[in-house]
Parts: sequence; structure tokens; C-alpha cells
Amino acid sequence: METRGFLYLRYACNDLIRNKGVHVALLVVLTLSAFLMATGAMVMERMLGSVDELFEQAKPPHFLQMHVGDIDADALAGFAAEHPEIEDWHVVEMVGFDGATLSWERSHTGESGDLSDSLIDQLFTTQNEEFDLLLDETDAAPDPSPGETYLPVAHRIAFDLRVGDELRIATDSGPLELRVAGFVRDAQMASSLSSATRFVVSEADFQTLEGAGGGAPESIVEYRLDDAGSAVDLQRAYEADEALPKNGQAVTYQMIRLVNAFGDGLVAMALVFVSLLLIVIALLNVRFVIRGTLEDEVREIGAMKAIGLPDRSISGLYLTKYSVMTALACVLGGLAAIVATGLLTRSVQVNYVDAPLGIAAFVVPVTALALVYAFVLLLCRAVLRRVRRIEVVGALVHGSVLDEKRAARRNRRRARRVRGTALASTRGLGVNGRLAMLDLRAEAGQWVLLPLVFFLAAVLMALPANLLGTFESPRFVTYMGDAESDVRADLLFSEDLDEARDELLRSMRDDERLTDVRAFSALLYEAEGEEGWETLRVEVGEHDPDAIAYAHGGSPGPGEIALSVLNADEYGLSVGDGLAVRRGGEETTLTVSGIYQDVTSGGFTAKAHGEEVTGAAGHMVYANTAPGTDAAMIATEYDERFDTATVIPMREYVRQTLAYVTGALQSATLVSFVFAVGVAALITGLFLRLRLARERTRMGVLSAIGFSTGEIIAQVRGKTFLAVVVGTVLGTVFAATAGEPMIGSLLSVAGLGIAHLEFLPNPWLVYVAYPLALITTGHLIAVALTAPLRRVDKSTWLRG
Amino acid sequence: MTQPTTEPVTERARIALASRGLTKTFHSTDPPTRVIDGVDLSVASGEFLVVMGASGSGKSTLLYTISGMDRPTEGSVLLEGRDLTSLDDREMSRVRLTRMGFVFQQAHFLANLNIGDNILLPALQAAPKDKKGAIARVDALLERFGIAHVRRHGITQVSGGQLQRASICRALVCEPSLLFADEPTGSLNSSMTLEVMDALTDVHREGTTLVMVTHDPGCAARADRVVYLRDGSLVDSREMGAWRPERASEREDDLIAWLRGLGF
Repeated sequence: METRGFLYLRYACNDLIRNKGVHVALLVVLTLSAFLMATGAMVMERMLGSVDELFEQAKPPHFLQMHVGDIDADALAGFAAEHPEIEDWHVVEMVGFDGATLSWERSHTGESGDLSDSLIDQLFTTQNEEFDLLLDETDAAPDPSPGETYLPVAHRIAFDLRVGDELRIATDSGPLELRVAGFVRDAQMASSLSSATRFVVSEADFQTLEGAGGGAPESIVEYRLDDAGSAVDLQRAYEADEALPKNGQAVTYQMIRLVNAFGDGLVAMALVFVSLLLIVIALLNVRFVIRGTLEDEVREIGAMKAIGLPDRSISGLYLTKYSVMTALACVLGGLAAIVATGLLTRSVQVNYVDAPLGIAAFVVPVTALALVYAFVLLLCRAVLRRVRRIEVVGALVHGSVLDEKRAARRNRRRARRVRGTALASTRGLGVNGRLAMLDLRAEAGQWVLLPLVFFLAAVLMALPANLLGTFESPRFVTYMGDAESDVRADLLFSEDLDEARDELLRSMRDDERLTDVRAFSALLYEAEGEEGWETLRVEVGEHDPDAIAYAHGGSPGPGEIALSVLNADEYGLSVGDGLAVRRGGEETTLTVSGIYQDVTSGGFTAKAHGEEVTGAAGHMVYANTAPGTDAAMIATEYDERFDTATVIPMREYVRQTLAYVTGALQSATLVSFVFAVGVAALITGLFLRLRLARERTRMGVLSAIGFSTGEIIAQVRGKTFLAVVVGTVLGTVFAATAGEPMIGSLLSVAGLGIAHLEFLPNPWLVYVAYPLALITTGHLIAVALTAPLRRVDKSTWLRG
Repeated sequence: MTQPTTEPVTERARIALASRGLTKTFHSTDPPTRVIDGVDLSVASGEFLVVMGASGSGKSTLLYTISGMDRPTEGSVLLEGRDLTSLDDREMSRVRLTRMGFVFQQAHFLANLNIGDNILLPALQAAPKDKKGAIARVDALLERFGIAHVRRHGITQVSGGQLQRASICRALVCEPSLLFADEPTGSLNSSMTLEVMDALTDVHREGTTLVMVTHDPGCAARADRVVYLRDGSLVDSREMGAWRPERASEREDDLIAWLRGLGF
């Protein structure tokens, strides 16, 4: 038994060495499949592990309610007493400052700058004692001394800050200078999708900031529960209690987790998607190679059968070879995956806590690799079943892999086909074209590999690029619940908010460089839900019917309201239904005019018609720029002129909000592009190598009867080109049509507020440049592999 | 042993094909193998020349090198005075298409075409605009060689003899002046061999120059002249005179005796 195993192994190794080119190409494809599968699994495991670990140590709240204004502490205590599932609770006090009021100075270089470009809320708070801890690099919860501050880790990366640098806060009573003592990771606000970030200061500095003016005080009521799963029930109970503070957004543990997992989760998902496509390609390839090998080695197989080797042993010889190769691919892919995972999860390690290497860190990638191995070996087994069908005489005399019955059937089929063809009847194509087409038709079973691979490669390239294009497109804001515009101004945290708004609006309307200036106010309404009255953030103003894309219905007119997809789901409403809302004690019922997609504010927003501006929680002003003017320049100018406003070019707003997601998608797109082109090149090379070996006699005959080598080469290149173009075009069409609902349904399952996805790709890139890149790759490989044919003695094609 | 005579007996006859100092070395082996070693050979127009020799003596290599399929390492090949080694691939393939025909041991037909289209293929390639003329020539050849009934058959549906006769049709469809045959009866039984040799003899009788490689003295006996190759060099040649079927066995015996003398 041992001797036989050794014999198999030696046969496998010798054979691998003998057909180096083919086996190396196959090994590379298998390794890439294994590599991506393992990397996807490891990134996912690391990411979930790191998020879990951070959650474990930082203990984020299971339910939290933001609030601006006074808080009734007795009501909160009463509520906590009524709900035994509450393990712990507290109220976190914070002061929010506009990014423009925060500046930094590097102690080692003297460089300085401010945070005015950062669009998220900068909140100052003290360290919590029991839960919702902000952790430093050593996973401790630091409590800074007076004069010190701990910054969010994201700022360390964004502004390249270090311990010892200085942070200056411009309050109404003058600047407060704090020394950077370290950086903290925040389980609640770690993601770039989060709309705020937290700085830790000492109790004394916090009091100073609170009293100094210029900041906006905000509170968060936070709860830890016995069971995180009951957060939604607690949220309902909380919102039903009118005495409790709820002038702000409510967030559950599940939402925090989702937001945290989104960016890296997307990369891991993309990697798994790419690896699945690659595995399909690898399997197609393995099948092609094995079938080819059996045909090439049919006489040896016949001889083995003739000397009495059982079918199992003969299949075993081949199976050993492929299992050695697949195992090697899995080991190489796995090792490469360890390195790649380290690189890909660097941001995870920075923003979260590095998860300890537990058993899952080993089991998850190994299971993924085992799956790849099992898939490939199962396919090999299935294809090698053909060995059983090979008959000794057929193999030795005719070199046929088919038994007599099958051979006869194939001959009849061929004869029927050739009877119907007429070489002379074709017009236009020429003899070479006609021969190539006939060959493609007759050998379709073999040639189909190329269109299939290029189809998958085109999909692989186009889908991530389409998604990235969509997220990067200025039109994507219409998914974010905003109108498409060039400049956006946000007014928040200001005592004389309404006055500031009027002044800004006046200036903008008077500015000739700006057109179509529209103002909206964010008002906090209460809406009647299943469990009573709940806070509803409504953007009030004149909503242009064409400004945003409505999934259903249209923009709100007087007495109407438009809801985001998640809000419509929450209230169980569709277009035409009524929703009871109230504000300032006045209750009214608004009709739902439309439902739109929104990814901001956790996806829970609404839009209503009106001009009411007093007492708004914030204002937004949108404007377009006149042709020939620079939106970025105008935005900077307004941003400097109006202290209380954050004015940004829209493209920048989208970029910042989705920075993490687009960053992750950029990597995924690049990886997909490189892999698609690489794998397409590799498989074209491998296919043509085997194909050219198989076509030697045909080429020899054509050469003998007077076809020039140039014509023979042109036939091969023409066939390859056609196969590549058909696959690429079909793949691109598939990605453009079926890809949209496919990715859309994935995203809607993720519950990010996008129910219907419409790709906003860069059409020149995705539908012209990418397919051209693929087709060029295929063609160049064909050129490279056929060029040496010119130097070959033609008789070798006929003589073997 | 007689002196090797590489010139045809009819010295005044026009030389159709000649090689001068023809050498072919294969560099893929270690050390490189010189398969053809300075061969000087002339074939007269209308002559039927057979090349014989033991396995591995370089017969087929000589055939493929003088027919322009392979490039010689040294020396030249002259087709009616024109040096083939100076032609580029396109010109050389044009010469093969219009002036030469090939018959191989295996018929080597394209499996995706029926018998008729396999024969038609070179004719269409030579004159793509004259489809009618090409089809007429194919039909005439199929009739002449008695295989018109298999015109639309697939290549797996006919006998070996029919296939080889079809192969001769393909070689003749462009009306070449030179026909090369590499062991054309090598995989046929005796009756099929007879069919094919009769066909080739007919072709020769009509004026086509024929160069054939064979192991079979019975087939070689039909030649005007037989040359013997050993280790890549021509060592002897024998004039056979014109073929007369009634003297077939006498010619064969004579040839066998000569070959024995050469150690065949």
C-alpha cells in the first residue's frame, strides 16, 4: 500500500514537471482561488473578532438616545426602575464644537492646521466609568489630567498627530489649549459612517468648555441590558414614555454593530465574491485540463488497462497529481492570505481592538481552504470517471477515449454535421474565416472555456467598479436623501441659528456665481408609531420634484410628507397613507407623497413641504454653481466668511461621508481588476497552449496544402478574439443588467437604507475601458503564444 | 556497391527539383542531430523517384526539406531553377499550394469538413473567385478515382483506401507539377495498397513528377529510379526503367536484391 502511494506520488511529481507550463498556470489559478477564499474568510473573522473584542472591552450601550436640551433625571430613574432588564444606565454629557473652532499644532515640527474640513460633529466628553468606555492603545480606559486630551484614532491618521501635540479649542471666552495625551478607540463612533466623534478631557476641562460658550451641549442617555437582543423592545418602551428626553437620534446596539461592520465587511464580501468567481474559473479549467490530458494520454491509459491495472488505480494516478497540486495551492494561498490579511486589517486594528488569535482564527480560513480543496477534488473525481469508459482496443488502436458505442455516436453526429456544411457556399468570410468558424462550431465544447472565463472576468471587473462609481458619483447624494447640487452648507450648533441662516441665504442668493439656492430646515417632529409617539427628523422646505430619486411616489406638496425607505418600513406606510405627526403640541396628519432612499442618519429621515424655520435643529442650504466657476473655491470662501456654517463642495461631502466605504471599495475594485485581467491572461495562455498542441496535425495539414503560417496564426487569433469578445460583451451586459438587482438585493439585505440600487457607473471606464482591457489582454496572449509558430518546422506538426 | 547516382538517367531531361549540399540539423537534441548530411539530389520533370532507407535514416526529413515544409540548416533547394530557401513563408506556401501536392501515411483530413470539402479546400485557397472551376475539378477527380459516391461523407465513414485516394485527389486538385508522398501505403492492407499505388502510378503516367518515401519494395518497384539513404546521406541509386505491370515481380526481386546488398 505504501509502495503504491509512493509510486502515485512519484508519477504525479514527474508528470507535474513534464508539463510545466500547463501545470504552473493551473497551480496559479488554484492558488489565487485558495488565496482569496482564505483572505476573505480571515478578514471577516478578524474584523468580526476585532469588533467583538472592542465591544467586549469598551462595552458600548445597547440602546442610546441623543438629546439636546434639559433632562428630567427623575423620569429617567423611574424608567430604569420599571425595567429590570436594564443592567446599568447613565447620562453622558457632551459639548459639540464645529471643526473650524478646533486647531492643532505639531510639537515636533511646529506645523498647524484645523479640523474645518471634517464634517462630522466633534464632541468633548469625560471618560465613562462603567460602560461605553473609550480605550487607548493599551486597551485601558484613560482618564486624562487637566490640560490633557485623548483624540479619536481616526484623527491621528487623518492629521498625522502624535502624543505631545497641541489641540486648541476656540470658545467664546477665548482659546483652551490641551496637550494630546493619547488616542482613543470608540466602539460607538468608530466608523466613518458615524456622524460624530468623541474627544476625552478631564472633568475640570469639560466644565470649562461647557461654561465657555461656543459649543453645543448634547446629552446621550445610555443603557446596558442583560440581553442586547432586547434593545428594540426597550427602545419602544422608551419612546412610548413621554416624560423621557428624546430630542435627537435613537440608536440600538444592532445599528452600531452594522455601521462598524459595513466598510470592512464590504471588502470581505467582495473578496469572497471574487474568490467564488475564481473558483468557478478554476473548476472549469481543471475540467478542461483533465479532459485534455485523458485525450492526450489515452494510449498510456489503454496500455495500463491492458496490463491489468484496475480503473481505480489509473484514476488514482491522476487524482494524486491534482490533489498534490490543490493541496500545494491551498498551502501557498493560505500563507499568502496571512500576509494579505495583515495588510487589509491594518485599519481594523487601528480603529478596533486586535482580537486575540483564538481557535476561530485558525478554523475559519482552514475550513475555507478545505472547501476549495474538496470542490476541486470532487470535480476531478467526476471528470476522471471517464477513465472507466476507455476501452483498451479503442485507446490503443484509435487513440479514442470513447467506448465503441459512444465513438460510433460521435462519428454519426460529426458525419451529419459535415454533410450539411458547404465550404464553397460561404460569402464574405473567406476560406480562413470559414475554416475558423467551422472549427469553433465543431470544437465548441472546448472553446466555450474562453467565453465563460471572460464572462466571469468581465463581471468580476464591472460589479465592484460599478458599485464604487455609484458611491463616488455626485448623483449618489440622491440615495443619501439629498438633492444633487454643487455646494452644500450646514448650520448646526449656534445660538442664533436662524439669524445665521438668513444671512447666509441672503449672501448666497445675491452671489452671481451661485444658482438655484434652496434652503431646508431640520425639524424634530413626533410621529405616531405602533408604540406611541416617536421622534422624527424632518427636512422642511421647498422640495423640487426632480431633485432626488423617489423609489415610489414623488416629492411632498403642502400637507404631504415623504419618508425614507427605513421610516416607511418602520411605520408600515406606503404612498397615499396618512401619518399623524405633532410638533409644539399641534397634531396633524400628513399624507405620504413618496418614499426615497437614504443612507444618512441611519437611514431614518423624512421630508415635508413648508417654510417653517424657527426652532430648527439645523439648516441646510444647497446651491448650484454657474458654469465655469469652481465649486470648491466658492465653498472655501463661504466657509471662511461664515463661522457657524460648514460649507463644502458636494463631491467632498460624499467623499468624506463615505470615505471608508469608497476606500474599501477602491481596494476591492483594484484587486478585482488585477485578478480579472491576470486570470483571464493566464487561462487564455493555458487554453491556447493546450489547444495549439491539440491542433498540431490540423496546422500541419493546412501548411502542407498551401496555407501560410501567417494565415494559420490568424485563424487561431481570430477564434480566440471572437471567443474573448463574446465572453466579455456578455459579461459586461450581464453586469450592467442583472448585476444591478443582484448587488441591490445584497445591499438591501444589509439594511443600509438602500432598497433599490441604480448603478451610477463611469460608463466609459466600466463599459468601454474595462472590456477593452480584457479583450486586449486576451488578444495579446494569443499574439504572444502564436508568434513562435512562425519559427517552427512545419513537418513537426505532422510527425508529432 | 555502385557509385551513388543522384542525377536522373535522362540527363537532357529538364530538372524539376534539385537539392545542393542539403543539410538539416535538429538542435532540440543534445548533442544536435544532423539528420540530412549534404545531400545533392536532382529529380527530372515527370520522373517517379522513390527514397528508401532504414528507419531513422532521414527519408521523411529529406522529403519535408526539399518540399519547403522545413527550412534546411545548410544548402539550397531549387524548383525549376528557383531557390526555395530564399522565399519567405507566404511565397513558399504559395509554391506548395500551386506547384506541389502532398500525400501522407495518415490521410490527415480536417474532421470538420466532409470528403469533398477537404479536397476543395486547397482549390478555393488558390483561386477563391473561381468556385465553379474548383468544384468541377473536385468532381472530376472524385469520378476519376472512383469515390464520387463518398463526396459528402464524413472522414470516419469511409475505408482507409478511399480516404487515401481522397487524399491523392486533394494533392492533385490544384494541378501541381510535383507530388510528394510520405509512406502513402504505410497503414493500408494489401488490396488498399494496390488501389493507392495504381492511383499514384496513373498520376505519374500523366506527367506529374512524383517523389515518394516508402519501406515497401513492392511499391518502390513502380518507380523510375530508387535512391537509398543511410544516416542522412545518399549512398546509392538504382535506375528502374519505365513501369510495366507485367514485369512487376521481376522488378521487385531485382530491387530487393539491390536493397539486400545495401544492408536493408
